[in-house]
Amino acid sequence: MIDLRDKSDLQVYPISEGAVTIEFGKTVDEDIVNRVNAFDRLLQQKAMPGMYQTVPAYASLTVFFDLLTLFNAPLPGKTGFDKARAYLLGLNEQTSGFEDAGQSEIITVPVCYGGVFGYDLEYVAGHTKLDSYEVIKLHSEVVYKVCMVGFIPGFAYLGGLNPALEVPRKATPVKVSPGAVGIAGRQTGVYPLETPGGWQIIGRTPLRLFDAKRSQPSLLKANDMVKFEPISLSEFEKYSGG
Amino acid sequence: MKIRIKRAGLMATIQDLGRHYYLSQGVPVSGAMDGLSAQIANLSLGNDANDAVIEFTQSGASFVTEDDMLICLSGSGACLKTEIRRLPLHRPLFIPAGTNLYLENAPPGSRSYLAVAGGWQVPEALGSRSTYITARFGGLDGRFLKEKDILKSTGRFTAATTAIWNDLKGNAINYPNWGVARDLFLPGDLKSIRVMRGREFDWFDKASTGSFFSAEYVLGHNSNRMGYQLVGKPMQRAIEGELLSTAVTPGTIQVTNNGDLVLLMADCQTTGGYPRIASVAAVDLPLCAQLKPGDAINFKEISWKEAEKLYIQHQLELRKLAVTIRQRYS
Repeated sequence: MIDLRDKSDLQVYPISEGAVTIEFGKTVDEDIVNRVNAFDRLLQQKAMPGMYQTVPAYASLTVFFDLLTLFNAPLPGKTGFDKARAYLLGLNEQTSGFEDAGQSEIITVPVCYGGVFGYDLEYVAGHTKLDSYEVIKLHSEVVYKVCMVGFIPGFAYLGGLNPALEVPRKATPVKVSPGAVGIAGRQTGVYPLETPGGWQIIGRTPLRLFDAKRSQPSLLKANDMVKFEPISLSEFEKYSGG
Repeated sequence: MKIRIKRAGLMATIQDLGRHYYLSQGVPVSGAMDGLSAQIANLSLGNDANDAVIEFTQSGASFVTEDDMLICLSGSGACLKTEIRRLPLHRPLFIPAGTNLYLENAPPGSRSYLAVAGGWQVPEALGSRSTYITARFGGLDGRFLKEKDILKSTGRFTAATTAIWNDLKGNAINYPNWGVARDLFLPGDLKSIRVMRGREFDWFDKASTGSFFSAEYVLGHNSNRMGYQLVGKPMQRAIEGELLSTAVTPGTIQVTNNGDLVLLMADCQTTGGYPRIASVAAVDLPLCAQLKPGDAINFKEISWKEAEKLYIQHQLELRKLAVTIRQRYS
């Protein structure tokens, strides 16, 4: 159970005329991530008047809405922002706590590590004083949690990287391919599109992380669980061919 | 109704009022940079405010009408001309088939919006017709318009659109004696941008926040649909610290680690990790959309409450405009 009551640290502030952010904390912390996601699920069930979408982040949830609809809703307050805050804090108060997400299904992402796809694997091994196989093992044995999606469509920030794999970002971002798997600091993730990226690239997945033609275009969503599965180059090519 | 593009000009794309239901998957809002002008172009034709329009940046584009057409150009990036005459903006225009039209230079703005009776026909992608170039979807094949592109109307006319068409059609260019007074939707000073304090406003020292509201900022050349580089005195931090990535939105003004200002625009990413000094009032985003590199602006502080009030007034005025045009042709 996650208790959302009596959290005096809950801050609500506007980021535009049509969006408010609820801040649950200021640190990357698994409990806070869980709280953000629990509140998000609650809000999906009991949508705020005029609500379009929510954007969960590490320690905040932002609610986007149509101001006119919200403004005309029978909620306490004289402004749309007051009404949004009243609704969100009210939701927080009325809720005595609710079930945690429980065990989400684990999404397996096959990765061909090293070689032409993971051209920074040697650097990572050198920096962490591990050998390449240990890097692959440490990266692929963990079940990660999607803390948030942002930066570019379908880019999931994964929490749970083994601290032994901490490496610095590149000084200058370089162009990466879609499917490139990177690590930097305490983070890991997969680049969905060709884009400049600053993370160290250790492999590539044949899966499409983002496809506008799918009903759910982003393969990964906040609160999903993710596991990387090492595959060989020939297996990678089979995926790409099929 | 269709047109053939002869010259696409700079970065011409199909846009509507944006994509609001995929933000949680990292998909930007996109949509017309100057949503006001896009709506005026549509409403002038009796269209839905959210119908697809062509966004042209500055001048240089030209196209030919392949059928008799009912179109409207709004915005302030260019004027609309035939070989021999200049045509009015912000009002419905009947143009006979085979007419060459040109977008020519008309300072002071940057972007123009071409609407067609019924809206331009492109498939919806993720609930919107807006082009998002970075991920190559939306609009016309997720790309900029180019020479020889043929763009068609959906052919789905409202009663008002049909009435305007019947009123204007003939053998020659024709338009009514009314037009939308776009200027009435805008403040007097187009270079004074109203902003509200951002969440991290107090992270900057007094001298920096003071100059934020008094100094001029110049739009840098590294400015596009994703964001604007605002060149001015760098901001100095009073509080060190890093912001945890959180949602951002068009209008957010971020301060990079060098102290430079970046104003996020229509195609901006959905989350960001730079401190937010301010947000541009939604009603002034159309002014920002019309800025050109080299233009100088300043920021004027208003409260969040005032910004809301302005936004609601603006929306109600646009609704009134839609009703007025519909009633005129019923």
